[in-house]
Amino acid sequence: MSVINFDFRNEVLKHNASLSYCYQCSTCSGGCPVALMTNGFYNPRKIIELSILGLQDKLIDDQDPNVWLCSTCQKCVELCPQKVELTEIFTLIKNICFEKGKVPNSFIAQGQAVFNNGIAIPYSNAILTRRKKLNLPEIKTAPIDDIQKILRGTDFEKNLSKGGSES
Amino acid sequence: MSYDIFLGCVIPARLPFLEASARKVFEKLGIGLNDVEGFSCCPDPTGIEQIDHKSWLALGARNLSLSSNGGIVSFCSGCVETLKGVNFALNKDSVLNSEINSILGKIGKEYHGQTEVKHFAQILYENLDKIKENVRKPLEGFKVAVHYGCHYLRPSEVISWDDPFSPVTLDEIISALGAESVEYDLKLECCGNPVDKADNELSLLMIDNKLNAIQESGANCVVLVCPACYQQFDFNQRELNKKNETSYEIPIFYLSELIALAFGFKPEELGFKFHRVKPYPLLENLGFNS
Repeated sequence: MSVINFDFRNEVLKHNASLSYCYQCSTCSGGCPVALMTNGFYNPRKIIELSILGLQDKLIDDQDPNVWLCSTCQKCVELCPQKVELTEIFTLIKNICFEKGKVPNSFIAQGQAVFNNGIAIPYSNAILTRRKKLNLPEIKTAPIDDIQKILRGTDFEKNLSKGGSES
Repeated sequence: MSYDIFLGCVIPARLPFLEASARKVFEKLGIGLNDVEGFSCCPDPTGIEQIDHKSWLALGARNLSLSSNGGIVSFCSGCVETLKGVNFALNKDSVLNSEINSILGKIGKEYHGQTEVKHFAQILYENLDKIKENVRKPLEGFKVAVHYGCHYLRPSEVISWDDPFSPVTLDEIISALGAESVEYDLKLECCGNPVDKADNELSLLMIDNKLNAIQESGANCVVLVCPACYQQFDFNQRELNKKNETSYEIPIFYLSELIALAFGFKPEELGFKFHRVKPYPLLENLGFNS
């Protein structure tokens, strides 16, 4: 049985008050490319509904529906007649998942790469050689100490260490 | 006229031939690109932002603080989305702005909010007349399926460029090169790349649908302006053909590659050998031999 979690609902509302504008017309789901491909199994309207109801156990713990399937294409945001900021609300829900270690592994791997290197894709020797052959300039990326100081100023490093899960 | 160039991660570290073609086009148009030291990942709006919005803001604000020139150009729609998005969020919310600035203070940086960010295709569109003047070899016979991608257009409130549902800029550039832009179903749909991190099969289904619609439209190639879309379109055709009974062999071009071809650069100058789907049969058919 699902339990209403008022703290969760208030947290979402505090970060994004547009949640309360939703009147469940489902224009978002009608325009969603992922809803189209999954026969509505992934359904942005449903995620908003569960957020309004404060059903954290479904959204965060069970991830059913799975908010990670949002492609961030922002079509729903453009289409919404009530100007609900759906993608931002989904981002917030995913951020809460990150705090609880409920993240697909690929996101953790990317986060780790940025924490370790300052960039998501470190330069391999083969690519450095290819860059030279293409007459491209050498790239001087960010001092890693600065990047790590920033990511320790947020909770990034702490949450990263909680790891992820198989998608 | 010159811009600080923000390369990001995917193009310089995985697809440097796209960077090379874009630099050639900008040089030909007389638009300067300054290489700046010390940029990090933008960071990825489909990755890092999705796990930690605040870290995304802070790293993005640090990148913006490094530009002293007043203008950044990026060849990547994701980087543009992030850098414009961070500007938008921090200019709108003064509390958040001071919070991020206190984090940046730890490394002696300050977000000043004075850096304008543009997508490279925006700058090219603003120089459409110059592009027309430089066309030496019109792209006759190129039937192009234009893929705008999501973050080139949306959220329109942040991107503030072209129409989020009836865009024209890329189609007009393609026409100016002498090529034909072919209409197709699903033109404005997502390529599916960001979904891959959570569900590979679903991501493949999305690109399969788009490729199918493009094949049915009679287009003989695709043009796009985002490295995530590029990888999704170019890297997955062989995989889909193995998995299903499809026979995709659709060449994928970056906008800068098609412009460079029209400017008279030879195919061998443009790194087409690094494409998974080789465009050589199409180029030879249309008289663009090496």
